[in-house]
Amino acid sequence: MIENTPALANVALEAASTWEASEETALAAAALSVGLSALAAGYAERGIGAAAVGAIAEDSDNFVPGLIMTVLPETLVIFALVVVFII
Amino acid sequence: MMRGASNTEYVSARVRTRRAALFADEDYRKLVRMGPSGIARFMEESEYEREINELGTRFSGVDLIEYALNRNLAKHFGDLLEWSEGRIYDLVARYLRKFDVWNVKTVIRGIYTDTPPEEIRTDLIRAGELDDSTVDLLLEVDTIEDVIEVLDGTVYHDPLENASEEYEETGALIPLENALDREFYEHLLEDLGRPEEGPDAKYVEFLEAEIDFRNARNALRLARSGADLDPASYYIEGGVLFDESELSQLVADPDGLIDHIADNRRYGDRLSGAISRLRDADSLIEFEHALDAALLQYADTLSSIYPVSVSSVLSYILAKEREVENIRAIARGREVGLSESEIEEELVIL
Repeated sequence: MIENTPALANVALEAASTWEASEETALAAAALSVGLSALAAGYAERGIGAAAVGAIAEDSDNFVPGLIMTVLPETLVIFALVVVFII
Repeated sequence: MMRGASNTEYVSARVRTRRAALFADEDYRKLVRMGPSGIARFMEESEYEREINELGTRFSGVDLIEYALNRNLAKHFGDLLEWSEGRIYDLVARYLRKFDVWNVKTVIRGIYTDTPPEEIRTDLIRAGELDDSTVDLLLEVDTIEDVIEVLDGTVYHDPLENASEEYEETGALIPLENALDREFYEHLLEDLGRPEEGPDAKYVEFLEAEIDFRNARNALRLARSGADLDPASYYIEGGVLFDESELSQLVADPDGLIDHIADNRRYGDRLSGAISRLRDADSLIEFEHALDAALLQYADTLSSIYPVSVSSVLSYILAKEREVENIRAIARGREVGLSESEIEEELVIL
């Protein structure tokens, strides 16, 4: 996979040079960035959420810090949303 | 081996909270000055509240403390198994099997000395993988053959059966107990291989350290007791510190044994403090406590390298065991009237 990356990049660039960058492709790219970042945030929250629930189960005072820590990766999605507004 | 997603994060978070709730070293200094009833009252205001209240009507004094400690230990370690899923369950369960080994040994010793089942029951720590019904069945049987029969289907059946011939010839329990210990340690490292990096490598490293220290301890006991026993029959495979022939030689030479540990690349630097204590220690007890402290420190170091891994669970298990042993030593020491400084020598304090 990794050793093929330059070749893959060349193919992509050639394909891109022949394409007309239209409104639709830009929107599709933005959609992709939001979707992927949401996936990444979800993956990050999986671990943090599990740990937070563990900490809350032991001591319910940890609820607020646990909640804040759990939603921190959500900033990833907000940054991706910026892309939507600037295209 | 169990497959599937494991919830390491959840287990580590819970374990770390419980780790923080353990008694601090200052608490031990307070406890050393109390009598058994004072210790029980102190425990009632801490983690052990429920156990002390449940058992308080039936027992008193040191017995109350001891049973409360055992029950609390079993509760916490049972919790560990209940929370963990997938691979981390497998890794934790392997280690907690040492309580199964302890229980089976206790039952066998009880049968050997004709102790009534009720008394054996109070000495069991139900923290292992054997379920309660199996343990109860073990308590009901009268002969060692029946114990082996009840364990049919568990990992202990075959080694015990092999050892039982030797037991019948000699009438001594040592072959059975050795068979159990070996079975436990062999399963510990089973199908883990030798991973080079990552949390698994640290887990293996820790278990190797435990095996090494167990070997060192056995060697020292043999050396001090002067008993004419073959060191090779106590040797546990899997460690990196000794091989079988080295251990046999070092049994005759305790200073050489300590030098051997200090020269080791893996333990030498990290354990330098503990090793200097080992050199100063005259009594075997101090030596063993220094080893315990060293193992505990080692587990802590490993758990800070990979905070979210099975290492943190192991370090909690060790710390909890140390707490239980320390409180028991204080209570027993007060009961027989040892002085405060004598009791403090019995404690494993970092």
